[in-house]
This record gives sequence, structure tokens and C-alpha cells, in this order.
Amino acid sequence: MEPIEETDETVGTAPAAPPALQAVGLGKTYPNGTRAVSGVDLSVPRGEIRAIVGQNGAGKSTLMKLLYGLEQPSAGQLGVHGRRVRFAGPQDAIALGVGMVHQNLMLVPSFTVAENVVLGVEPGRAGRVDRAAAVERTAALAEQSGLAVDPEARVDAVSVGMRQRAEILKALHRGARILILDEPTAVLTPQETTDLFTAIRRLRDAGMTVLFISHKLKEVREISDRVTVMRAGSVIDTVRTEESTPAQLASMMVGREMSLDVPRHPARPGANTLRVRELSGPAVHGVSLDIAAGEIVGLAGVEGNGQTELVELLAGLRRPTAGTVTVDDTDVTHLDAAGHRRAGVAHVPEDRLTNGAALDRSIADNLIVDRHDRPPVARRGILRTRRIRELAEDLISRYAIRAPHPDAAAGALSGGNLQKVVVARELSAEPRLLLAAQLTRGVDIGAMHFMYERLVEARDAGAAVLLVSADLGELLALSDRLLVIKDGRLVARFDDPAELTEETTGLYMLGVERHPDERITAGVR
Amino acid sequence: MGSVLDVVLSTAFFAAILGVSTPYVLAALGGLLAERAGVPNIALEGSMLSAACAGALVAGYSGSVWAGAVCGIAAGSLLALLLGVLHLYLGADAIIAGIGLNLLAAGATSYTVFALLGDKGGTSRLHSGALPSLRLPLIEDIPGVGAVLSGQNVLTWAALAATPVVAWLLYRTRFGFHLRAVGEHPEAARSVGIHVHRVQFRALALSGALAGAAGVFLSMGAVSFFVTGMTAGRGYIALAAVFLGALRPWGVFLAALGFGTAEALAVQLGNLDVPGQLVSAIPYVFTLLALAFFAWRRRRASRTDAAPAPLTGPPVLESP
Amino acid sequence: MTSTMEPAAEQRELPETRDRREFLATRRRTVAVELTMTVLTVAVAVLIAFLVVLATGKDAGGALDALLTGPLERTPRIGRWLADATTLSLLGLSVAIPFRARQISLGAEGQVYAGALASALVAINLHLPPVAAVLVPLGAAALAGGALGAVPGVMKARLGANEIVATLMLNAVVVRVFDYLLTDHLKAPGSSAVQSAPVRPDSALPLLSNFFEVPLDQANIGLFGMLAVAAAVWFLLARTPLGYRIRVTGSNPDFARYGGLDVPRTIEWSFVIGGALAGLAGAHLALGIYGGLQPDMAGGLAFEGIVVALLGRNNPVGVVAAALLYSYLRVGGDVMEQQTDVGSDAVTIIQAVIVLLVTARALPELVKRYLARREAR
Repeated sequence: MEPIEETDETVGTAPAAPPALQAVGLGKTYPNGTRAVSGVDLSVPRGEIRAIVGQNGAGKSTLMKLLYGLEQPSAGQLGVHGRRVRFAGPQDAIALGVGMVHQNLMLVPSFTVAENVVLGVEPGRAGRVDRAAAVERTAALAEQSGLAVDPEARVDAVSVGMRQRAEILKALHRGARILILDEPTAVLTPQETTDLFTAIRRLRDAGMTVLFISHKLKEVREISDRVTVMRAGSVIDTVRTEESTPAQLASMMVGREMSLDVPRHPARPGANTLRVRELSGPAVHGVSLDIAAGEIVGLAGVEGNGQTELVELLAGLRRPTAGTVTVDDTDVTHLDAAGHRRAGVAHVPEDRLTNGAALDRSIADNLIVDRHDRPPVARRGILRTRRIRELAEDLISRYAIRAPHPDAAAGALSGGNLQKVVVARELSAEPRLLLAAQLTRGVDIGAMHFMYERLVEARDAGAAVLLVSADLGELLALSDRLLVIKDGRLVARFDDPAELTEETTGLYMLGVERHPDERITAGVR
Repeated sequence: MGSVLDVVLSTAFFAAILGVSTPYVLAALGGLLAERAGVPNIALEGSMLSAACAGALVAGYSGSVWAGAVCGIAAGSLLALLLGVLHLYLGADAIIAGIGLNLLAAGATSYTVFALLGDKGGTSRLHSGALPSLRLPLIEDIPGVGAVLSGQNVLTWAALAATPVVAWLLYRTRFGFHLRAVGEHPEAARSVGIHVHRVQFRALALSGALAGAAGVFLSMGAVSFFVTGMTAGRGYIALAAVFLGALRPWGVFLAALGFGTAEALAVQLGNLDVPGQLVSAIPYVFTLLALAFFAWRRRRASRTDAAPAPLTGPPVLESP
Repeated sequence: MTSTMEPAAEQRELPETRDRREFLATRRRTVAVELTMTVLTVAVAVLIAFLVVLATGKDAGGALDALLTGPLERTPRIGRWLADATTLSLLGLSVAIPFRARQISLGAEGQVYAGALASALVAINLHLPPVAAVLVPLGAAALAGGALGAVPGVMKARLGANEIVATLMLNAVVVRVFDYLLTDHLKAPGSSAVQSAPVRPDSALPLLSNFFEVPLDQANIGLFGMLAVAAAVWFLLARTPLGYRIRVTGSNPDFARYGGLDVPRTIEWSFVIGGALAGLAGAHLALGIYGGLQPDMAGGLAFEGIVVALLGRNNPVGVVAAALLYSYLRVGGDVMEQQTDVGSDAVTIIQAVIVLLVTARALPELVKRYLARREAR
């Protein structure tokens, strides 16, 4: 292994000790052309706690996978303790002392904590497993590192916090000197988070280098020494935590070079179509809002703050635990998806591949799912194939969907075209309420503008539109009103977002600022 | 009714239960290992049949029952390995491949017997012999228990021993650990360097061997010849025992014993002119009800949001 | 509504029509490729069996000849072929429908016996006018099979219970009940054999031999009934809303739910319809082939139905074709056994190998890659 080339990124390291982890020009392009990470330079000195922040799709997770050997880089070099390395898989990374705690914990549910910790390197002779030794070793490690666990408890019966500590112990058991944590506090209670941070500091004091990905600026400021901000697959900058302000970080995370311009008339909202009162469910807590016919309300928020669940609740795909939802005087709170559609709700789902389309069915089949048993598609219990074909061809032409034939499989379409199919279906139902989640995810530029125009069209035709997006530029360009969601609650409301900037919105998304409840629920009775 | 009770509560009946349950226990334990490793082995029936046939033929031609037993077990194991190749390497659906292999075993065994012996019914012309029964000199004098335990076939003892051995294997050895990890959360296993497919192949080999032992018992234990189709669906019943036993060795043992009891009962009652078929249907009805009950309970639990964040990992009893 | 993109109509014609033509051509080619692959699979399976027979020192050539041409040599054999294929087609269709909805129903065995029982009971005991004497037992069979299918259907749809175990258990129960009823209550008086009284002549399905004046064994009008049923199944799947729901649920149940389809109800119906079809297969056995009830009437047909559905890609036309193929092979196998010293079980081997080859999806890819590597060298 040759020494890794030096870059400018050696900030504040003692000349004698090489950085624990280094990346030079690291890049990853997937076979389908997606460039997840490009030109990343990273240098993490030994004993530092480094936070990696950025929006979804910024490349943080991919970078972590590259650092752990779960993916191989398509460009650039990796270095551990000053020596260049190539990881063929996680085993190589583990062998060099890199340990990772994934967001989706890699624990076997029916095994105890100790059994999970020693999995793959179980103590014992002649093929037997010495469980007592496993428990002993786990307890010793736990004591040493300050990570309290019950070694003999079954992992599916303990708290999430303990499960996470078990994962960390797993890495420690394999001699990790560099620990990578992916969104470690996402599922922890405040108390568990404090405990985790205490443990991390203790580990650091014993010589561990820690990298962790996070969305939560407050925590980043609490525990990290330095912060690396990523955006659109590249590193924007690395700053000392104590020298940076939240505003600076937010601006680095969400700033955008080009602005979107969507020509549209000012909204002329009518009566309230959607009325949500104190809606609660998994990940959603007491949300109240109104959307009037003829307006687009945007919902901004860092992914994972309840917007996915909120949309599913409003679409009838999830059951609320409390609260009510009314669409045009119809109480749809406890209705299923079919009931919501009957009430005039249309839904462009955020993951079209999972539930927005049936990939091995034809485009025509995909276009009629919400009207397959009604005229004109079906009459007297029989599907009218000619009418279906006409309908499909009409929609294909109106929405400029590039497809050879209505019978072509939906799965053969490109991302943008498939999304057009979904949008065509939902909009052609002439909905009263349109829920659009990640409307332009995975869609090329040309199709994006097309979608925006159709959205505004639907609004002008009288639909109430809820637009959920991780793309702030899109939200600011399209929304007549803007709401911000964090931790399942509405934390901001802008009735006139014309002068709003992405940086400001970012502050609310990240919890740095918040509107008072009266402002958020003004007019909502 | 009196005579029925006489029969049921006799030591001969209990002895019969152990004998009749032997193939179920062995095959079900085999099914358990495969299922816990994440590869549903529907081909238990085929492994049993192949083993029964191979065992009888080899024993008959070689003159050694032990050679027959070994070859039978090997045949069962090979069939399961074939399932592994089809499912893990060739992308075959495990269930369809399992059914296909059962069909293959049925055809191949009948064909071979007919080709070698010219008899469509089985190998009765061939004197293949049977594996020895064990007389236990001191124990057989104990009233009651003695008559039940003494005189059982060596494979019956193997079946009784197999349950604690399988339990030990699963819960106390590295192989068992890896097997369970692979079956419950292959990602987690892979992330610590365990070769998932390798483990699954080994599990299948063992699974087939156990089913093979069950088959060997049929043609070289209970009787001493092979009859075409003699497994008569026991492999599928063993599968049900795996689920009924909640995928745990002792549970599976009890479930298999239950099915064995029902079969023994059916035979005895048949001798007494009582409709044995209805009685022998009871364990299946019971399994059906248990299936519904557990599924209902699972549905109810998932409706409440009180559970902590779910671990990623496929629950093993879930329907495909 | 004006679209912002509206190039002149003529300009859009050419590339669009070209893509469309290419798509249709590819689709035809794909069907041809699939068909070729299936024929190839059968050929390979027959070849393997041929080699096995050769290895056991038998007259492989003569066996192959008897197998492939035997069924056509005499009309009763043709009749047996058609009769067998009728039952097998119905069983294949009964499995294909739940399969389309992504449900693995192994319940055909129990449903066949239930159907046979129901139709025989009606046919033996009820005195009905001529046409009703056939239709009512058929209806009873469909009802019995459908009701039986509803059990695992509801268990799966509403409780998420494993339908494989459920159907296997139900099979075991129904088979035993059938055995019991046949042995203890339905045995024909005055006969030593275990079988029921024969069905009334009016209920027996009219033999084709009578129409064509040529001996055709047990082939009966059930054949045309089966073809009608196959057409009905095709119509159901392709042209009705329920069929649409079945297809979409099978393709992506999450999408189905999102789109407002009643997924549990769809699953239930797929099991019920499948059960009804298997029941009809049982009626065909009872009223057409055996003219009564026999122990072990269905033999291994139920599992063969699963295999036929797989081979026919769960498509009514494919299923019927596959059933004809399998039954042809089976009759050929019997001829082969009569005329040569090769056992008819060689046919079972062929059938099994076909299943394994078809389900090994990765195999064609591997073969292609292997050939490509050989060429590169």
C-alpha cells in the first residue's frame, strides 16, 4: 500500500500523525448514470469527531458506503492512517479498523445483545459457541466504553438506544479505531441521545475517530469538532464547529446556483377544500391546516420529519390515531385509499416504483387503475379495450409521454416518462385535492417544467394542491403558501413566500427558527 | 368405546406411536433446519422417497443394510442440494423447484424400480432387509415403559436423539448461529463476513440427510422393502409440523409426534372398524386453526403503534 | 386546454409510428421466443429421459417412438389423451388464477375431491330432467370447490396466514373425509370393490365416442366444456374489472391498494374461482371418466395442475396447451410401457425435468454467457 497523496485538506493535524481517514477526489457514478458523489476530498485527523451534513441526495450515505467498503469508488483514492487502501467489501474495512453503525441496524432479532456483538467471530472451541465468554466479553467492552447494555437480553425486546449501543459494541469488538455512524440520533429519545454522546466522547478520549451523518444541527454543534457540508454529491466546505453559525451551515446545505422560473398567475383561492384538524399518526403530531381550492400549498422539511407519513394519512394509505380530515365536506378520516379517491383526492406518490405503478403491466393498465370499473372504461361489467386504448393514447399525447405503444410495459419507461404516466393518471381524474410528493424526483429538466405547468394548470382548474418536496427551489417557485414541518409538527407558515429565500427556509427546516403556534394555525378552526 | 380405550391406552399403542412418528420427526427436523436458514425445503417428500428407494436397492444388492442406509441418506441429501443449486444459483422459485423435485423423485424411483426389478409395485422381490431393532435387556423388564422402549428400531432412537442434537446444533454451535443469522437477517450476516449461500447449502445438505433418514426408516425399518409412493405425503405433513412447532426443535418434535399419534390412531381404529380417517384428520384441522389464530394475533399486534421501531429482518413465519 | 408543446402533427408522426411498429414487432418476437424456449425445454427434457433410458440398457429408440407417436395410433388413446387433458386443463386453470394474483394455492387436491363428491352425490341421488341432470351436479361441484377455496382465501386475505400451509392442511382433511364417506357410507351395495354406486345415466357426461362413431375411450363433452371454461377464464382475466384487479394485485399489491383496489376481496375471489374450477375438474372425473367415485381418483393430478399452470405461464391458452402436452406424454408413456420394456414413469421424469428447467430462470442467461465466453476464445 503506497502512501496517499497529500492535499490541502490537512487542517490542524500534527505533522507526525497521518489522518485516520482520507479521501482524495473520491467519486461514485452508478451504472445507470447517477452521479452520487464526485470530487470529494476529506481528511479526518485521528481522534476527531467529524459531522457530515447535507440534504437528502447530497451524497452523504453514498460517501459512508464508500468509506466502509459497501460500494466501490469509480474515481479517487481512499486512505486509512496514511496508507492507500481499496476495500473489496466490508470485511476489508473491518480488518483495517473501520466500523460502521448503519441507520437500519444489522442485528439479528432473536439473538441476544452478546450474540449479536460476537456474530461472525464467536468465542469457543471446536465449533461450539461459548456463550458465557461472549457475555463476559460484551460486558467488559460495555464497561470500558461506557455503553450500557444488557448482554443477555434479546435484541428485539430492548430499546432502540440499546440496540444502537449493541451495534457500536459490535464494531468495537472487531477492533474499530474509526467509527462511522449513519444518522445515529434519528430514532433516539433525548435522554438516549445524551447517553450516546457521552459514550462517543469517552471513545474519542480513548483514541477513536468518529464520523457521523446527521440532519440535526443542534446535535452537530453539541458534539462535533468539525463539520463537513455536502451538497449535490460534492463537499462544499469543512469548518470548525465552534467557528460556524447555524445560518452559515444552513446556507451551505441548501444554497442553489440557479433559480427556477415558472410563469404563473397569482392564485385565486376559493373555499377551503381540505380541512385537517389535529391530525396525528405515526411520525405526525397534531397537524392542523387548510388548503383552499385554487391554491398550491408547499410543505418544506428535511426528509424524515413526517411529511411522508402526513401525505400517506391524507391519501388514505395510513390510519390516523387522532384528528380529522375533511375534503369538501366529506369526512375522509377513516376511509381507505378507494374512499379518498371517491372523495376527489389524487395522489402522486413519492416512490412511484413502489406503489405508483405496476411495472410489468402496460401503460394503459397503469393509467386506468382508479377508474377501471366505471364508464367509460368499463360498462356493464366488461372492460372496453377500445376506449381504454383511446384514453391511453389521449393521455400519452397530452402529456407528451415518450412510449412506443400504450401496451408497452410501464417498467420500460424512463423515470421522467413514468412520472408523467403517474401525473397523467392523477390529474386526468380532475381531483378536488391533489397530493404531490416529490413530484420531480428522478425526472429530467425538460419533464420537470412540464410537471410544473400541469400542476399550475390543475390549480387554476380549481384543485387544492399540497406540494411536498425536498427541492426548496421548486417549492419556492410554485407555492402560493408555504408550510414547514419538523419532527411531525408544523413549525412555520408563510402566506406570502414571494420574498422568501432558501436560506431562511432552511433555518426553519433545521429547527433553528420557529413560528409561534398562533401564526401557524391562524384562520384554521 | 371400551375396546377403543383398551387399544389406545395399551403399551403396544404407545410403542406404535414412537415407530410411526419416527419419519415425521426426522423429516420435520430436516425441514426446520432449512427453513431457519431461509430456504424453504418443500422437497422433503422427494428426499424421503429417494432415500427409501435408494436404501432398499443398495441394501438388497449389496447385502448390507448399513450400506443401504448410508446411500439412502446420501440420496436424500443430494436432492436437497439440487434444490439449493436450483434456488440459489439458478434463480428458481424455492416452492416450485421443491414440487418439481418431488415429482422427479416420484418418477425416478418408480422408473428405477421397474427397470431393475420389473415390478411396478416396489422392491418386495428384493430381500433388502431392515435396520436392526434394539432390545434393551434391563429396561424391557420395567412394566409399561419397557415394552414401549425396547424393540424400537435404531432409527427411532436416532429420531429421539436428533431433537436435542438439532437443538444443540442450532443454539450452541457456530454453524447454528450462522444458520439462524442467515435465515433471519442475511444482510446482517453478510455484513460480518458470513457466506450466506455457503451456509444455506450446508443447511440443505443436513436437511436432506435427515429427510433421507426418515425415508430409510420407511423402507428399512418399519418394513423391509420399498413400495412406490410409500411416503404418501408425509413430507408435506412434516412441513406443517415445522410451522406448527413454531420453528423450534422441541416444538417441531411435539408437532411431529402429534401427527404420528394421529396416524397410529387411525390405523388402530381402522382395525376396530371405527372411522380412523376422521380421527386422523384432527391434527390437520388443529394446525389450520392454529395457523389462523397465530395470523390473527399477528395482525392485531401490528395495528397498535406501541412497538418500538421495527428491526429490519424478515419474520420467518410470514406468508410469501 | 392548451399544451405548451404542440409541434405540427406531421412532424410527430414519423418517429412515433416507427417506435410503435418496433414495439409490436418486438412483442411478436418475444412470443415467438417464449414459445421456442418452451419447445426447447420440452425437447431437452425428453432428451435427458432418453439418455437415462439408454443408460439403463433399454430400448430407448423404440421407447421414444412409442412415446411420441403412440397416442395417435389408435383412437381410444386419442380419447384418453383428450379426457385426461380436460381434467388437467381445469386443474391448471384453477391454479393459474390465484397465481396471477400472486397467491400460491396448493389446494387443488382437496377441491377436486370436494367437487367430485358434491357432483357424485347429486348425480347419484337426485332425479333430474335430462339437461339439469348434468348442469346441477356441475354447479354443485363448482360451489363445493369454491367454498373450499374460500377458506384459505379468507385466511390469507384478512389474516395474512400462510396459504401454502393452509391449503396443504385442508387437502389432508378433505381427502380423509372423502375416504371416510366413500368407504363407510357411499360404497355401492353388493359390490366388493370400494367405489360408489354409479351415477345416473342422465348425469354421466355424454361420450364423444357416441358422436363420432369411433371408440374414444372416456373422452366426453367435458372437453368442449373445458374449452368454454378456458375461454371464460381468458375473458375474465382480460376483459373484466375483476380480472384487471387480479392482474394488477399480482403485479404490485402496493400499487393496487394505492389505486383504490380492494386487495383482500380480490385475493379471496381468486381463491374462490380457482376452487370452483378445481371442483369442476372433480366433477369431470366423477361424471365423465369414472362415472362414480373411486378411492384416489385424482392421483397426482392436482400437483400436475400446478406444473401445467407454471408451464403455461398462468395464461389460459398456455395452460390448455401445456395440459394437452402433458396428457399426451402420459398416454404415450403408457403405450411405451406396453410396447417396450421402459416404464411409464420415464414420463414423470420428463415432466419433472420440464418444471425444473422452466423455473430455473437464470439458466438461459448462464447458458448465453457460457456460449459467449466459448466464442470469445
